[in-house]
Amino acid sequence: MARQLSDGLDRARRDAGLSHGELWMRYFELGGMSTALQLEAFLYGALRPTANDYDVVAHALNERFVELGGNHPVAYSEDEIDALEEEATP
Amino acid sequence: MVTRGDDRLGQLEVTISFGEDEVVVGVNGEVDLATAADLGAALTAALERGSPAVVDLTATRFMGVAGLRVLEIGAEQLAARGRRLTIRSPSVLVSRMLDITGLVDILNVEGAGEGPTAASTSAGGLNGHLRKVSAIPADDDVVDGALGLLVALARATVGGADGVSVSMRRRGHLTSVAATDQAILELDALQYANAEGPCVDAAIEGRRFHAEALDHENRWPAFTPQARARGINAILSSPLVAEDRPVGSLNIYSRTASAFTVKDQELASMFVTETSRLLGHAGVGVTDDQLSERLTRALQTRRSIAQAQGVLMERKGIGPDEAYTLLRRFSRETNQPLSERAADIAGSTRRLPSSVVHEQKEGPWLAS
Repeated sequence: MARQLSDGLDRARRDAGLSHGELWMRYFELGGMSTALQLEAFLYGALRPTANDYDVVAHALNERFVELGGNHPVAYSEDEIDALEEEATP
Repeated sequence: MVTRGDDRLGQLEVTISFGEDEVVVGVNGEVDLATAADLGAALTAALERGSPAVVDLTATRFMGVAGLRVLEIGAEQLAARGRRLTIRSPSVLVSRMLDITGLVDILNVEGAGEGPTAASTSAGGLNGHLRKVSAIPADDDVVDGALGLLVALARATVGGADGVSVSMRRRGHLTSVAATDQAILELDALQYANAEGPCVDAAIEGRRFHAEALDHENRWPAFTPQARARGINAILSSPLVAEDRPVGSLNIYSRTASAFTVKDQELASMFVTETSRLLGHAGVGVTDDQLSERLTRALQTRRSIAQAQGVLMERKGIGPDEAYTLLRRFSRETNQPLSERAADIAGSTRRLPSSVVHEQKEGPWLAS
């Protein structure tokens, strides 16, 4: 479940052209409370972020995509909840 | 559903309740450098109201030096208007910290915790709390204020300590970023000028230098007589390390030879850990000036977001998470960066919190 939520986050980071350190800085700037190591663990799906924490990461990525001319391609937790619940059902 | 991680530190929920004759800021959880801005935002919103302000610490599990600094800033703002901030139900440890740092002189303290306060300053007792503090390197007021409180705490708790300082390498030179008093700053400066002394060696070599008794000391021929002339007889300098590189030192000075027992040295190690965490976090070095500037900017943005959250919480009667979600959704809908929106909201209050922080640069524990 957490894997699905986090899946694609690290790909999005690469697409956004951000290093792990740069993403952490943006995440921290937006009020994120996890360490750089924890953030990496979120990106790789090794640690499950809270919904709020996930949304800060998603927003940090999305602001970068907006800078690059995109429009919030990374889904937020509220967008994902339905999909996740479907996937959680066997 | 997404579930809440349970291994994270620094969880904090701040509530504001506006009563008829007082505004109460409830602090539920842990106040460290990561969460101190949230408390600051709530306190700023509470002080706006003009009613007597109370910070209720009944449900506070941990109060780090950054949190104390926020209380200090709030108290000083109120003091400027001839009023005092009330702290309700602090734990024994927090009471002791308020006492040691002198904050008790500018605060009203109600319902302080019962119990043996001496025990709360033992190495074990403090360590259990202090080791939770993790923080961000930056030339930031909160960091500087936190360092100032930290050296004050170190002086008060390490046996034999008459003065404490923190030296950091900035732009290739060592400089004192915090010290308990002017005489200690001068002792640091003498070592920088002579390019020798325990503080210099610890910061360069990355290991601890303990000058047990200066009258038997021959490692620093220029500095030692100058220190003795100023009444100093023992020095314990421990390296501060970021990314496995020495970046500075925590220096404890005593007028008494052989002042530092094994237990004092352990206590010093604890403060070193605390200081290293304050200065270096998340695998980033603190000597890179560009990075330091970037972090300073990030901290300012972060603070302004926390302030905007505080404003929205008060205006709309919602919690911090809902306030953040509002900001985030606005940013998503308009493509305006969240930080800009937050700055607009934070700037719409009468007193800009960033100016509040800058006014307080010269705290009583910052002898710079």
